[in-house]
Amino acid sequence: MSGRGQRPGAGAWLLLFPLLLWSLAFIVAPTAILVVYAFCQRDEIGRVVFSFTLENFQRVLDPVFLRIFGRSTAYAALTTAICLLAGFPAAWHIARSQPRTRNRLIMLVMIPFWTSFLIRTYAWMTILKQGGLLNGLLSYLGVIGSPVEFLYTPGAVILGLVYAYLPFMILPIYASAEKVDQALIEAAHDLGAGPLRVFTTVIIPLTRPGIAAGILLVFVPAVGMFAVTDLMGGARVMLIGNVIENQFLAARNWPFGAALGVAFLGMFAVVYALLARRAKAA
Amino acid sequence: MTSRTRPVDRLLKAWTAAVLLFLYAPIAVLVAYSFNASRLNILWRGFTLRWYAEIWHNTKLVRAACNSLEIAAAATAASIVLGTTGAWLLHRYRFRGSAAIKTLVAIPMVMPEVLMGISLLVFFTAIRFSLGFTTVIVGHVTFCIPFVMSAVQARLDGIDPSLEEAALDLGATPVRAFWHIILPFLRPAIVAGGLMAFTLSLDELIVTFFTASSASRTLPLEVFGMAKIGLNPELNALSAIIVMTAAGIQVALNQMRKDAR
Amino acid sequence: MNMRLPVVLLALASSLPALQAREGLNLFAWSEYVPQKVLDGFTAETGIEVNYETFSSNEEMVSKLVAGDGDYDVIQPSDYTAEALIKQGLLAPLDLAALHNLGNIDPAYRHLPYDPEDRYTVPYMSGTVGIVVNTAVVHTRIRSFGDVFQPRFSGRIVVLNDNREIVSWALAYLGLPTNEINAKSLAAARPVITRWLKYVKVFDSDSPKTPLLNGDVDIGVVWSGEAAILWNQDHKFRYILPSESVHRFIDLLAVPVGSRHRAAAHRFIDYVLRPEVSKLISDEFPYTNPNGAARRLLSPAQLANPASYPKGGNLETFRDVGRAASDIDQLMTDIKSAQ
Repeated sequence: MSGRGQRPGAGAWLLLFPLLLWSLAFIVAPTAILVVYAFCQRDEIGRVVFSFTLENFQRVLDPVFLRIFGRSTAYAALTTAICLLAGFPAAWHIARSQPRTRNRLIMLVMIPFWTSFLIRTYAWMTILKQGGLLNGLLSYLGVIGSPVEFLYTPGAVILGLVYAYLPFMILPIYASAEKVDQALIEAAHDLGAGPLRVFTTVIIPLTRPGIAAGILLVFVPAVGMFAVTDLMGGARVMLIGNVIENQFLAARNWPFGAALGVAFLGMFAVVYALLARRAKAA
Repeated sequence: MTSRTRPVDRLLKAWTAAVLLFLYAPIAVLVAYSFNASRLNILWRGFTLRWYAEIWHNTKLVRAACNSLEIAAAATAASIVLGTTGAWLLHRYRFRGSAAIKTLVAIPMVMPEVLMGISLLVFFTAIRFSLGFTTVIVGHVTFCIPFVMSAVQARLDGIDPSLEEAALDLGATPVRAFWHIILPFLRPAIVAGGLMAFTLSLDELIVTFFTASSASRTLPLEVFGMAKIGLNPELNALSAIIVMTAAGIQVALNQMRKDAR
Repeated sequence: MNMRLPVVLLALASSLPALQAREGLNLFAWSEYVPQKVLDGFTAETGIEVNYETFSSNEEMVSKLVAGDGDYDVIQPSDYTAEALIKQGLLAPLDLAALHNLGNIDPAYRHLPYDPEDRYTVPYMSGTVGIVVNTAVVHTRIRSFGDVFQPRFSGRIVVLNDNREIVSWALAYLGLPTNEINAKSLAAARPVITRWLKYVKVFDSDSPKTPLLNGDVDIGVVWSGEAAILWNQDHKFRYILPSESVHRFIDLLAVPVGSRHRAAAHRFIDYVLRPEVSKLISDEFPYTNPNGAARRLLSPAQLANPASYPKGGNLETFRDVGRAASDIDQLMTDIKSAQ
């Protein structure tokens, strides 16, 4: 049997070696540094003092941080759901277009993001502010009488997150939908299946890997995001990203920042490994 | 094969147009404001081309933009190579501890930027490697790999095994089969992963701060500093140039392909 | 496909670094704080190239300085950060004999608590934290923090996203010393801050002027430099020093112990102390210039900007609080996440 699941020979290991080496040097080593830091104490300006303590991990269990973590997760989940709903039809449409249009469209999706996030976010603020373009448009159309507060609301935060991550949903779904054979869909139609039935019984199963990748690539980074949310939401809510960064850049407590980070990474690794194992078993 | 145009298709087309409109709304605003005479970028004070002229004198900004593009290109190339081969090998062979390897490679995606930045800096200092372009690129490649790998893995999942078998049966070596069969098949995923990597690298701030030297400063570092004295319209002009150049190259490439046919 | 490979290799090769030995002067300073003209002028005169690397907060600077090998010759800490660095032995004593222009510094900026003998630091620019009011909307007289944090301004306030600042305002409001951070003072500040933060719409340290200019808020507590830009944009934005107590910050120049080009570092500091050079900084960044000789060169309009050169006020600099920074952070995290 060739193809999937073969035992790797020396050649395969050799090809994998660069990636393994890279991971050891730039993922394992820095993570190990963090793990060590997380068990240490700190000096006056927050640097690590190599003296063992469990205090940092005890503090991680403070309900305040659990609440903050829960809120970050909720924001990320909502963002992921909206990105999926908005992104899937677009990704599917792009993947079904003529090859030439396809490439152009996929580039078009990404190009706006080659500007700096700060500039893009300020542009959104120009649209959403009280005397902004959106309020101007809505009052011109007579939809609203007085200006509505769009900026610095939870809605603005979600908008900022969705905007930042939408392409990361569209691209993997596109990459996976592009290989779906048009003939399969035509056949389903010819057999009398309505659009909804084709969608649930043919399209979804065939693009599932792309959907899974899109969810991963949006949800995971969105949990730790705080730069966009601070600008769009006025920084009134604390997210896990803020808390961790503050330990280094305000609270002068590197070990606690490291402990929060290690707990965060650990949780992710466990969930990810479980999912990977389940996928393998399936 | 031509497919019949159904109402669903028209709906999908309209939806895609709406998504693009959403993505380009702030871009339209910043392009408009790049012609704004006001320095503070907030109130409209009349039309000017001044900022486009001034960009060329702002050597700091232009150099940072060039650094950013170079770093993003290198980081994309390296993460495509590492991510694609990794995804394919992990898909094709049953490596001992492959779940662990996959998890490991995905970790930078969750790692808060400040943790990654500081720990990489500590690491580079420990091995006496001085900060510069290499250190920034290393940081970027590390967080770009999982994006490339995920896109490629998604396309590999459910790949028809007969595709590679057929090639092998015809006497191709596994490497030749990879090069001539698998790689072309993976192309859309590699493009998608590469685009994500390029974009992430171009826009990264915190890891870059900790791993850059004065010579390898990137655009986001400059832009962030400028926010303090008021985001100036030169930045809008520069963004407009970047977006329009990228779109222009895209159109030109399409044209070339059309001509070649 | 085959055509791609050379392109990829080229891209890789072009970005490989020449293992650069960093010659010249390595300056680690706030972004947008040292005018290009000053750097160019220094290089033209001395032939020393300046490698300008930037940061956007004191803590960012300290983190990079202590986590890396700290290959910097001149850094730009603020008062309390310099104090912490001095305590940790991370700053090198200055060779005062090499600083001929030290006399230009206004006496009000000498011998301050963070560096009582002026052995390690030289003032660069200074500023205050005060109240800015959009007088087109707010017609009542605002004099103090107590006047700002009122229910009638609920949802119309911007403040700095800086925990130490906010705690110090609450302490000043209570009449407590702003530099004594301990369990007792934080407990006293907690209810005040909890009440205040309910009224705040935006927290922003990087550009608090934006929501004011956009009309999303009407009143705020911001850096004087931000207020000066607002005033230059529209005189309806008035800057007021809070009556309780005013935080005056002083950004300094200092030489870290790891510096390998100390002579060049001193030449640079001395160059910046020249009145005509220091004036260039004021021309670009409307903060308070501590250089008395430079101040005499400024235009009447520059001196008339009430945010750059405010009158009176009960000015206080921050002192280093050491480990208590973590307690401040914990308090603010608690309050913010409970809302």
